[in-house]
Amino acid sequence: MELPKGTTEKLRKIAGEKGVLTSPVDLLTYSYDGTTNWEAKPEVVVFPTTTEQVSEIMKLATQDVIPVTVRGAGTNLSGGSIPVFGGIVLCTTRMNRIIAIDAANFSATAEVGVVLHDLNQELVKHRLFFPPDPQSFLAATLGGCVSENAGGPYAVKYGVFKHYLLGMRIVLPSGAIIDLGGKTMKNVTGYDLPQLICGSEGTLAVITQVTMRLLPLPQARQTVLAVFDNVVTAGETVQRILASGIMPAKIELMDNWVIQRIEEVTPLGLPLTAEAILLFELDGMSEAVKKETEEVVDCCKKTGAIDVKPARDTNEAENFWTARRAGFSAIFGNAPTVLAEDVTVPPNRIPELIGRIRRCARTYDLTIVIIGHAGDGNLHPAILTNRKDPAHYARAEKALDDIFAAALDLGGVLSGEHGIGLEKKRFLKQALPAEAIYLLKEIKKVFDPKGILNPGKIWE
Amino acid sequence: MEHLLLPAHHNGYSSAFSTLRSGQRVTEIQKNMDYLISVDDASRCMKCGFCMSSCPVYGVDHMESHVARGRNLLIQWANKGEINTEGAYQDALSFCILCGRCEATCPARISSATLTVQARAQLVTQKGLTWTEQLVYRGILKHRSLVARLLGLAAKIPGFSINEGKPLRHLADLASIFSRGLALPRLSSPFLSQRIPRRTLPPFGIQRRGEVAFFPGCGLEFFFADSGKAIAFALAEAGFEVVNPFGQTCCGLAVQSAGDLETATLMARKNIEVLSSFAAIVTGCATCSAALKRYGDLFSPEDPIQEKARELSQKIYDFSEFLVRPGFNPPKTTAFPLRVTYHDPCHLRWHQGIHDAPRKILHALEGVTFIEMEGADTCCGLGGSFGIKHREISLAIQAKKMEAIKKTNAQVVVTSCPGCLIQLMDGVRRHQLPIKVMHIAQLLGGETRGKVK
Repeated sequence: MELPKGTTEKLRKIAGEKGVLTSPVDLLTYSYDGTTNWEAKPEVVVFPTTTEQVSEIMKLATQDVIPVTVRGAGTNLSGGSIPVFGGIVLCTTRMNRIIAIDAANFSATAEVGVVLHDLNQELVKHRLFFPPDPQSFLAATLGGCVSENAGGPYAVKYGVFKHYLLGMRIVLPSGAIIDLGGKTMKNVTGYDLPQLICGSEGTLAVITQVTMRLLPLPQARQTVLAVFDNVVTAGETVQRILASGIMPAKIELMDNWVIQRIEEVTPLGLPLTAEAILLFELDGMSEAVKKETEEVVDCCKKTGAIDVKPARDTNEAENFWTARRAGFSAIFGNAPTVLAEDVTVPPNRIPELIGRIRRCARTYDLTIVIIGHAGDGNLHPAILTNRKDPAHYARAEKALDDIFAAALDLGGVLSGEHGIGLEKKRFLKQALPAEAIYLLKEIKKVFDPKGILNPGKIWE
Repeated sequence: MEHLLLPAHHNGYSSAFSTLRSGQRVTEIQKNMDYLISVDDASRCMKCGFCMSSCPVYGVDHMESHVARGRNLLIQWANKGEINTEGAYQDALSFCILCGRCEATCPARISSATLTVQARAQLVTQKGLTWTEQLVYRGILKHRSLVARLLGLAAKIPGFSINEGKPLRHLADLASIFSRGLALPRLSSPFLSQRIPRRTLPPFGIQRRGEVAFFPGCGLEFFFADSGKAIAFALAEAGFEVVNPFGQTCCGLAVQSAGDLETATLMARKNIEVLSSFAAIVTGCATCSAALKRYGDLFSPEDPIQEKARELSQKIYDFSEFLVRPGFNPPKTTAFPLRVTYHDPCHLRWHQGIHDAPRKILHALEGVTFIEMEGADTCCGLGGSFGIKHREISLAIQAKKMEAIKKTNAQVVVTSCPGCLIQLMDGVRRHQLPIKVMHIAQLLGGETRGKVK
């Protein structure tokens, strides 16, 4: 699109000389996010530093009907932060102050540009714990996390972002600044608007500040690694442990391909023929963790794990998790393009889903690596491919379609953590009833009558 | 951060420079530059953005074109001819401070700093150097004796030089108008090579353990001769006969970082010639050891000098790395109880993977209480000419470092890189911290030992 005359000057007046980027090279660097497939350039990038500036920007955009795509670090994995209709990219990375950490009331308020990792490092000093842990936490901003309702390995026990959202400050496309929710654990005051905006992928309002619920840091943590010669057995083990009344903080699964790569990079002495590894983290009171660890080890052995290793100390635990990260890195180091997906099924359907993914890999002659959160049914099948090889890439895309179909078929969803964005919108009709999509669109109209906020996302 | 670093990776500035394998000489290398710029390496970027968490520059201005992810994509587009490489692109390349920290966080293990250097070199090939760069890199820096003579003349101006004591302040500050306010160190007078003998012997009564060559580099030779002397004495006290070989020149990293591979290669040839006969070569400058350890990457395998370069690289040690090898006996330093903190130079921590060695020394010194600062392994903000070119960002990074140093309540901050010394000295002065900045060797080097207060 072409910006109305004088837009960049007006933006400079709002956000300052250094708060506006217009050079073609700079604009190109806001044409992508963490997703493989999509690129679209904005006409201008603006870095507000206050909610008031955001409000001014939104008034201008509404008046001149300019698309606004809000962006944090741009680590999104569904194309949600790509400005497909051009216009303004509103980048929140310079709104990065932690406003308050209220240890007595277990809450924290921060601007949306704060990086999750930076918040966590502050919280640890107060012996506080904010569990949602999307694996992009090193770079991801709070704004992105709320907008995508992000989660990670801790979801099995602790849930995802929405479970910790108490309140937020938002700016509507009209420029109105509104405080929603509050600081209390309980709050039933009309429709729960913060929950509606959480996960709305930047389509309803610009969030500028969030207040989150915190937990006390667990006293103790223990990692257990279990090796299986059969994925189905691993899946059953997860079920048995959960049924026994133990709720591990994390249950991560890795397949044979990952095991082989781990042994190449950080040898842990795993059998190269092993079909799957489960990596557990147990946390809580020291005595309880000790007892639970014994039971998990016992249960793994009983269900047929070929080896079970509780980490002897924090160093060894760290080695186990480093190995998992190294395995994850290996996926990206072993192919020019990786389609990393995010399907989620009820936890007891995981063995079936894995079976379907494997069939898929055989049918299309592809390497599909499986790594995922076994405890909550969220798998990340990663298809190793190459965008520059059209035939191969076409097969990869077909496989992706089949995996989505399999997930829905097994009572699951398209996305556990990444959102719909651009990547999955063509599947939305399969995933939601028509009436639900109608409701989404009507809600959107109330918030954003001119449709300027992150246009082109979620539905077709 | 530590827990996120990848295993077994950073024993060195990683792989991309190994793609510098074609071309007999640099002139030929530059002819083949299209091949050399490892676009494929940049294209492995998965756009995860983890580099943002470790980039000191992004940490200040939060701009995508100033972090590895953005730059790697721009380099790819430039190589495909999809973007204009004038102005803004060149600018984006200049915003990398080359600390290499992002390489340790990168899941795809892309050598982003090296890629940036390669992209700069490509621009130099296409567009040539500016006349000032030509004058400085090829007219002056290339000729060590000329550098010595010019600086020697400058040292004669009263106030521009020091014999002992505080290297910053006074008339040398006049020169800071050229460095946009960065307080430059005063010149050492006389230079290091006139302060230490060609051969320093272990003191009487200390068992001789061998011979080492000392490569002081420009920083210790001309500006921090005190530190240079302390290194020589510390090595001698550890039982080594320390030779200061004649004919050394600049290590070449500064010109290489600017993309002038031709000059870098000439410097490397000279140093290889001078140093190859020694069994071990020790530097007290993180930048020099980082450069010397990678000399092999500058030459093609067909060139017989490559093997010589690689052999030499095997024998290069940073000062602390050398000292903590088996048999190290720390000197007793009870003369002065001191609270000391340590700053990791990027060229040591990220380019060479050296983290423990200097800390082992500090822990071993009696009388020294070592206090780890927050973010010890983040850049000080100088990055050579970056600190002058991008003054505002450099100062913002420096301010974070000063905050961390202040929190330790240490009396002394030590490091092992003349560049970091300059930036830290400038910082403690600017922030008015009552803290001394020293080279780590000054805590244990012979006659300077114990003279802290």
